[in-house]
Amino acid sequence: MAGAFVVEGLHKSFGALHAVNDVSLDIEAGQVHALIGPNGAGKTTLFNCITGFLRPDAGKVSLNGSDVTHLPSHKLVKTGIVRTFQITQVFGELSARENVELAARSREGYNFDFFRKASACIEAREDAEESLEVVGLIEKAHLRPEELGHGDKRVLEVAIGLALNPEVLLLDEPTAGMSRTETERIARLVRQIAERTSVLLVEHDTEVVLSISDKITVMTQGRVIAQGPPEQISQDPQVQDAYLGAVEVEED
Amino acid sequence: MAASPEVENLVEDASKTRSREVATRVLLAGSALLVLAVPFLGASPFFITLLTEALIFGIWAMSLDLLVGYTGLVSFGHAASFGFATYAAGIFAMNISADFFLSTIVAIAAAAAVAFLTGLVVTRLSGIAFAILTLCICQVLFQISVVWRSFTGGLDGLIGVPLPTLFGREVEPGEEFYLLTAATLIVCYLLLRRVVESPFGKTLLAIRANEDRAAAIGIDVRRHKLVILILSWMTGGVAGTLFVFLKAGANPMSLYWIESGNILAITILGGIGTLFGPIIGSIGFIFIRDQVTTMYRAWQFSFGLAFVLAVLFMPSGIAGIAERIWRRLWPARS
Repeated sequence: MAGAFVVEGLHKSFGALHAVNDVSLDIEAGQVHALIGPNGAGKTTLFNCITGFLRPDAGKVSLNGSDVTHLPSHKLVKTGIVRTFQITQVFGELSARENVELAARSREGYNFDFFRKASACIEAREDAEESLEVVGLIEKAHLRPEELGHGDKRVLEVAIGLALNPEVLLLDEPTAGMSRTETERIARLVRQIAERTSVLLVEHDTEVVLSISDKITVMTQGRVIAQGPPEQISQDPQVQDAYLGAVEVEED
Repeated sequence: MAASPEVENLVEDASKTRSREVATRVLLAGSALLVLAVPFLGASPFFITLLTEALIFGIWAMSLDLLVGYTGLVSFGHAASFGFATYAAGIFAMNISADFFLSTIVAIAAAAAVAFLTGLVVTRLSGIAFAILTLCICQVLFQISVVWRSFTGGLDGLIGVPLPTLFGREVEPGEEFYLLTAATLIVCYLLLRRVVESPFGKTLLAIRANEDRAAAIGIDVRRHKLVILILSWMTGGVAGTLFVFLKAGANPMSLYWIESGNILAITILGGIGTLFGPIIGSIGFIFIRDQVTTMYRAWQFSFGLAFVLAVLFMPSGIAGIAERIWRRLWPARS
């Protein structure tokens, strides 16, 4: 189920560096919200603060109205806030299916089950299969990550995220290092999963961002410089200066 | 309609794995029977005693494998789990009851308590920091065992631990005690096998692979580390209990850092992440030590050399090589 997600006035500094400086954003249920900005703008730091990997200095994160700001990452997952990583971090020794099953079992509370066989958790098996089906990896489920192509590995990250039944899925550069066709595949996938979960997405590919997002937040040097629907962002002179550069926006 | 090649592959994979699984079970059951049959095959008392010690080390090494192999936590102080239990079980047996089950339970509980307390700190760490802190904790226990003479007997250790009793009957040293040890090893192996194949065990693999990623799928990394540390110490405690009855005494040297190093080397040589490998490693270690120490003094040096070579040339240990051969013997169904 897609949830409404709000970040208010988030701050994080490392010494004198304000990596994230008073960032606010809100995602309505079922929306795709993109976070863009040049390298070093603080996007990943913001992700880490939201998902409990870093402790924000100030600010508030809430999901469907309840405050989840200082929850550790593993508890945050249980509330429905799920992330993927910029650098693919799937479990290399396990097959694609086992990777997703691990997440499904975790969600279903089997982490401290000592005596059942892991492979006997039928529900987790089925949930994992459904996730793999959604992202289109079911045919390759028996392969290990190293046997998958780069694009498939990135997609596997998304499948792991989906198996956790997120209300908000935070995708950290899902198309990093992908070819044109693979990027389009991810773009379609993001649109498709937005039917069941809200999405916050860090992305460099401006074309992808403009085509799939409902709303865009632009960050530079830790600050939000613009926020709004794609049409508005692409017209914003400040954004064009800071980030989009010479990119022409096609209009029909 | 013909099945797609993908599906055919899957079916073949499944049946291949299935027949290998059956074969593995037969092999394990056979090994268990062989281990239990040793006293009836005309083995000498000396051999029996040596093998008893090897199997005790096997239980202990399995307990370390839970940390090193399955969770990726390299402990340099695992003598603590074993040595501490020798004292707990020994003092209990000398003063209260030599019942094997009771002594084992007391040693397990004591080990679990220490694991819990130290775990509150060490589970915050991983890598080198974890290794060093476990080493320090073990040294602290070693010092306590040396200094607290009225309780531990100081450098002399505990002397005169009685024979264990089982259902009110004394277990005789030699064959009977060997059978008790072998049965305990088999029970420990089966229980731990179950644990590593459970959802909990798979979660440990995730932690070993990547703690942050594990947390991001909802795994409480610290709690899992704490639980596996306690489980590991409890298993080490079982080994310590058997050892104190085998030797009829406890000695501070069981808590010395060299013992931690030995058991770590045994576990790695045997093959981490297999449970079975560390048992093989222990048997190899005890018998080679017995042969080599009588021949020349620098045997620790040769053991160290063997260890370095093994780490360089067969990082998956003896069990890793055995598994590769095993997989070749049970290839895709012809």
